[in-house]
Amino acid sequence: MITTIVKRDGREVPFNLEKISNAINKALQASGMSDDKLALALAIDVSRQVSEESFARKTAPTVEEIQDIAEQVLIDADLSRAAKAYILYRAERTRAREMNTRLMKTYEEITHRDSKESNLKRDNANIDGNTAMGSMLKYGAEGAKIYNEMYILKPEHAAANRDGDIHIHDFDFYTLTTTCCQIDIQKLFKDGFSTGHGFLREPNDIASYSALACIAIQSNQNDQHGGQSIPNFDFGLADGVRKTFARRYRENLIRTLEFAVGRTTAADKVKAAAKTIFADSQLAPVIANDNDYINQEYALLADAFDAEIVRKAQAFSREQALEETDRATYQAMEALIHNLNTMHSRAGAQVPFSSINYGTDISPEGRMVMKNIMLATEAGLGFGETPIFPIQIFKIKEGVNYNPGDPNYDLFKLACRVSAKRLFPNFSFIDAPFNLQYYQEGNPATEIAYMGCRTRVIGNVHDPKRQIAYSRGNLSFTSINLPRIGILSNQDITEFYAKLDDRIDLCIDQLMDRFEIQCRKKVRNFPFLMGTNVWLDSEKLGPDDEIREVLKHGTLTVGFIGLAECLKTLIGEHHGQSAKAQQLGLEIVSHMRKRMDEAAEKYKLNFSLIATPAEGLSGRFIEIDRKRFGSIPGVTEHEYYTNSFHVPVYYPISAYEKINLEAPYHQFTNGGHITYIELDGDPTGNLDAFESVIRCMKEQGVGYGSINHPVDRDPECGFNGIIGDHCPKCGRSESEQPPFERIRRITGYLVGTLERFNNAKRAEVRDRVKHLNVTADAREMETL
Amino acid sequence: MIQLRLAGVIRESIVDGPGIRFVVFAQGCPHQCAGCHNPQSWPFGGGFTAQPEQIIGEMLKNPLIKGLTISGGEPFCQSAAMAQLAHAAQEKGFDVITYTGFTFEELLVQAKSDPTVWELLSHTDILIDGPFIKALKSYDLQFKGSANQRIIDVKPSLEKRKAMLIHL
Repeated sequence: MITTIVKRDGREVPFNLEKISNAINKALQASGMSDDKLALALAIDVSRQVSEESFARKTAPTVEEIQDIAEQVLIDADLSRAAKAYILYRAERTRAREMNTRLMKTYEEITHRDSKESNLKRDNANIDGNTAMGSMLKYGAEGAKIYNEMYILKPEHAAANRDGDIHIHDFDFYTLTTTCCQIDIQKLFKDGFSTGHGFLREPNDIASYSALACIAIQSNQNDQHGGQSIPNFDFGLADGVRKTFARRYRENLIRTLEFAVGRTTAADKVKAAAKTIFADSQLAPVIANDNDYINQEYALLADAFDAEIVRKAQAFSREQALEETDRATYQAMEALIHNLNTMHSRAGAQVPFSSINYGTDISPEGRMVMKNIMLATEAGLGFGETPIFPIQIFKIKEGVNYNPGDPNYDLFKLACRVSAKRLFPNFSFIDAPFNLQYYQEGNPATEIAYMGCRTRVIGNVHDPKRQIAYSRGNLSFTSINLPRIGILSNQDITEFYAKLDDRIDLCIDQLMDRFEIQCRKKVRNFPFLMGTNVWLDSEKLGPDDEIREVLKHGTLTVGFIGLAECLKTLIGEHHGQSAKAQQLGLEIVSHMRKRMDEAAEKYKLNFSLIATPAEGLSGRFIEIDRKRFGSIPGVTEHEYYTNSFHVPVYYPISAYEKINLEAPYHQFTNGGHITYIELDGDPTGNLDAFESVIRCMKEQGVGYGSINHPVDRDPECGFNGIIGDHCPKCGRSESEQPPFERIRRITGYLVGTLERFNNAKRAEVRDRVKHLNVTADAREMETL
Repeated sequence: MIQLRLAGVIRESIVDGPGIRFVVFAQGCPHQCAGCHNPQSWPFGGGFTAQPEQIIGEMLKNPLIKGLTISGGEPFCQSAAMAQLAHAAQEKGFDVITYTGFTFEELLVQAKSDPTVWELLSHTDILIDGPFIKALKSYDLQFKGSANQRIIDVKPSLEKRKAMLIHL
C-alpha cells in the first residue's frame, strides 16, 4: 500500500487517490466520455500497480512513475483516445514547467549578473540593463514573452518563432500595443493638448515649442513599443519661430519708442496697433517682411509719434528681433537635443527613440529651425559629446535643396558638414520614384519621412485618398530567416520559393492574429496616441471605442534577414560577388514584395515589406542555425547574419558598387530600407567627398541612406576623429582616465559605448570593411 | 608603350585631395623620409607595371571619382610616364593632384634639363611639395603630412616661376 509519493522538487507528500482519479477523468472528459466511477476504478488499478512496483523497490514512487503507469492503464483498458488526451495533457504541463524554470533562470540572470557578462541584458543597446528600472523592464519583458508563447500564440507560430524560422519583433509587447507613429506636431499643438496629467495650452514661443515637442515624443513613446518620429519638424517648429519673432519685434519697438519719446504711451500704442492690424487683416510682423504689417503699423503709429522716429524704430526693432529670435531658436534647439538625450520613458529605463525629419520648408522661419538644430547638433552636448538622439533625417528634393541655386541648398551643405562630424542627419530622397509617386508639391504630408531605424509608412490601401506620412505608423512586424530556408532547399530554387511562400503565409497569418488583438484595444488604452488624436482619425472615436477602424491606417510588415547568406546557400555567391547572384537576390525580394501587395489587396490592410534592422536578431538566427547545421562557410561561420539586403560588411567593395548594388532593393522594400557606406575615419576634412557619396545615393535611386564613420573623442584634449589605443593628438592611452568615447551606429541608432552592444553587433562592427580609404596611416593599396 | 611602375593604387580615397579620388603610388623613391607611410615604395625595382590607359579605364568605371592623385614613391622619378597619365586623366575631365618629395623650386631647376618634369608639372592642377619631416607632423593639416609641405596652384606658379599657394 502506498502512503507517500515523491514530488518533482523531491518533497515527500501523502498519497492521494483522488488526484489520480481526477486526472484520469479529465482525460476521459477530453475524449468525450466523462465517467467518475470508471475513473475511480482505473485510479485504483493505477495505485495497485504503483504499489507493487514501489514495494519491490522499497522506495516511494515519483509523480512521473505514477503518470507512466496511468498512461499504460488507459491503453490496456482500450481507452486509446483518453490515453492520447492524457499524454498530451502531460506534455503540455511539462512544457509549462520547463517554461517556468526557464523564466526563473532568466530572472536569476537579470537579478545577479552584470550586463557586461549578460548578452540578454544588452539586448537593446539603448537600455541600461544595470539600472533598477532597466532590470524591472527586463523582468516584465521576459515574463510577458513566456506568457505570450504559452497562451497567446498559435502553436505553429510559437514553434516557428522559437525555432528561429521567423522572429516576431517586440514580442514582449505582443498583446499590448503597436510599434510607432509619425506625429504631426502642427496638428497636435493647435489649440493645445493634454498628456493625461494636465492640459498644455498652445505654445507661444520657440522655447515652449521645443519643450512640448519633447513631451509629445515622450508621452507617445509610453503608448507604443517602437520609436517616435516627427515628420514635419521644420514646418511644425517654424510656427514657434514666427511667434517669437512677432513678440520680440513688438518688445523691441516698445522699448525703442519708450527710449525716444518717454515711457508713457508707447507700450499701449504698439499693442493697440498690433491688435487692430490683426483684427483687420490677420497680419503679424514676419521675418521676410513680405506682408503689409510694417506699413499698416507705420500708418497707425505715425500719428502719435514722430514719423522719422517710427521708421527708424521699426527698422532697428526688426533687425534686433531677428538676431534675438535666431539666438532663442538656437537655445531652443540645444534644449531639445539635451532633453531628448536625457529624458526617460518606460519606467525611466530608456531614452525615447526619437526621430525628426526636415529639409523642405523654405520659409525663413523653417530655415532658421533647421540651421539651428544642425548647429546645435554640430556643437554637441555639454562637453561636446555626439548626441545620440534625435535621429535626424534631411529630406532631399530637387528644386528645393539639392542643387546650387535651390533655396535650401545651403542647408544641404550644412547637413553634410554636420553629418560628417556627428553621423546625423541621415538623408532621405523624395525624388526616388517610389517616394516621388506620393509627392504633391505644397503638401508636406505627402513628402516621404523615415522613422529612425528605417521604417517607412506612406502608401495606404485602406484609404487611398490619404497616402501620407503624418499620423500613421507601423503596427507590428515579423522577420523571416532567409538563410535557413536557403540551407533547407539544397540549392533547389523551386523548393526555395515553395518554402519561402509557406513562411510568408505563416507570417501573414500571425500578423493578422496580432492585428486582431490590437484591434480590440480601446481608445482609453492609449491616452496620448489615441486620446489626444495623434493617430489618424482617432478624433472620430470616443474613449471606450475599439480602435479597429483607425488602426487600418497602420502597416503590417514582413521583414527579412540575411539575403547575402541565403544567396550563398543557393548558388554559392552573394550579390556582391556576381551579377547572377544580384539578379536572384532581386527576384527573391521582389517576390516577397509581390506577396505583400497581394495580401494588402486581399485584406485591404497595409501589408508591406521591410529590410529588417537586426539588433538582437543578427546573432540569434545564426546561433540557432549553427547549432542545427554546423559552421557553413560564408553562411553560418560569422557571428551574425547580414542585415536585410545589405552586401556583407566584411566583403571589400567600393562605395559606388555598394550603392549601385543595394539601390534597386529600396523600391521593393516599401516598409523601410537604408543603405550605409562605411568610412574608416573622419570625413570632415573632405566634405566634397561626403556630398558626392550622398549625391550618388540619390542618383542611383536609394530611398534612405547614411554614411557611417567612427566618431571617437578624447575628452581630455578634445580630439574628435578616429582613435586607436592612443590619442593621435595628445598621445594619451586608452587605459588612462577618462576613457575615450566611441560612438557607433547600431540598427540605425547611435550608441555611445560599445559596452551596451550585444555580442553579435560587436563582431559586426569589428568586421565592417571601409568603403572609402580615409586614414592616411597604413595605406591599404591594391595592385591591378 | 610607356609603362608606369607602381607600388599600388587606391580606388576611392578621401584623404589625398578634395572629393573622392583615385590614387596611384609611384614605385621608387630617392627621399626615404623618416616616418614614411609607404616605405615599401622606396626600392626602384619593386612594385608592378601598368599602362596609363589601364588606370584611366579603372577610373572611368566609378562615377564617384572626381580626380586623380599621383603619390608615391616619387612621381617625378618617372615623370615621362606620369605626365602621360596626368594628361590622359585631364582629357577625361579629372583634376590631377601630384605629391612630390622635391620642392617646387627644385623641380623648376630639374625641368631645365628634363622636359618631362615640366610636362608632368603642366598636367598637374595642384602640387603638394616637399619631403615629409617627422618633427613637423600634425593631425590638424589637411591633405599634408608635415607643416613644411605646401599646396601649390600649379598653373599660375609656372607662369610666374614662383610657388603660388592655394587653400583647398
